[in-house]
Amino acid sequence: MRLICIAWCLALAACKAEQPALAGDAERGRLLLRQFGCGACHRIPGVADAQGNVGPPLDGVAKRVYLGGMLPNSPDAMVRWIRDPRRVDPQTAMPALGVSEEHARDMAAYLHTLK
Amino acid sequence: MKMIAALSVALAAAATLFYAGVYDISATDQHLAPTYWLLDTGMKRSVRQRAAAITVPDLAQPGQVQRGVALYAQHCVQCHGAPGVAPEPFALGMTPTPANLAHTAREWPAAEIFWVVKEGIKMTGMPAWRYRMSEEDLWAVVAFVRELPKLSPEQYRSVKLTRQSASEPTIGSAAHAGRGKRAIHQYACVTCHQIPGIVGANAPVGPPLHAVGTRAFIAGVLPNTTENMVRWIRHPQAVNPRSAMPDLGVNERDAQDIAAYLSTLK
Repeated sequence: MRLICIAWCLALAACKAEQPALAGDAERGRLLLRQFGCGACHRIPGVADAQGNVGPPLDGVAKRVYLGGMLPNSPDAMVRWIRDPRRVDPQTAMPALGVSEEHARDMAAYLHTLK
Repeated sequence: MKMIAALSVALAAAATLFYAGVYDISATDQHLAPTYWLLDTGMKRSVRQRAAAITVPDLAQPGQVQRGVALYAQHCVQCHGAPGVAPEPFALGMTPTPANLAHTAREWPAAEIFWVVKEGIKMTGMPAWRYRMSEEDLWAVVAFVRELPKLSPEQYRSVKLTRQSASEPTIGSAAHAGRGKRAIHQYACVTCHQIPGIVGANAPVGPPLHAVGTRAFIAGVLPNTTENMVRWIRHPQAVNPRSAMPDLGVNERDAQDIAAYLSTLK
């Protein structure tokens, strides 16, 4: 038990060392979300033709506690999820779409305006 | 004069209804949205006013979060649950339902969380812990609650408490959406999901359930069929052990009814 707690606290400390704020361009992200066809599966406020109902709507996603129902939400977590969802959840229907780090940061920046 | 007469009549009528017990006090009959708003907003304003004078100490002291985990597992998880862990059955049907604290931690300042833990909230199940915990311990709980939103279910699992499902009632009639709408209140669903037609915290812990009836996938993993919806509601951890959604001990009858209600959300 003690070992688990120590290991877990170390993991938390490592998390705090990650890059803090978001460095993406929200407006570019909004356009990229359309380019990558995200709207085919998700309803996304402010993105043209984004009315999909395959996955959950992204209204208010900035305030959502978990991404993909399991990953604690943060700008970095969102980039991680967007880039390789099946690495986080092997069972998810969401595919990897070949989104680069930079593009994912832009998308995450836009999604973090959805409160 | 007419005003006074009208007012007296109104008061007399109200008193009669009051004494006749017309108001439904049961925990199975839910508040109207305006009533809920009044109670919830009033509570928040009261806490804010009283927590304003509290100075928050350093919440990153060594060992503090660890101490908070132990206290949380002992005193809090039974009502509030944890990532991937359901509250105990008695807490699931409470009105108001104990909040999902991963959401609370993202929205409330530390001083206000501390105040609620210490002083409790009238007319709810939230006790005042000031008589049962030292100030140090109260702050340790707050320190842990602040970390809660960052934890995946796997990370919390070292203190996970498991629960057996309640015994199964026999299933007679077909699934019923109206019954499902009431059943939803008995499993604290609205402390994690925004659900059209359901009054309550509607906290954004999991995804919103708008149009979930026509959504292609349930929880992003299961094709949306009635059978799969029932399966997900009853045993999410068996479907996807990484999910933050806990097993809530939903019996077959209630799961079918809830699935029937959710299928009306288009």
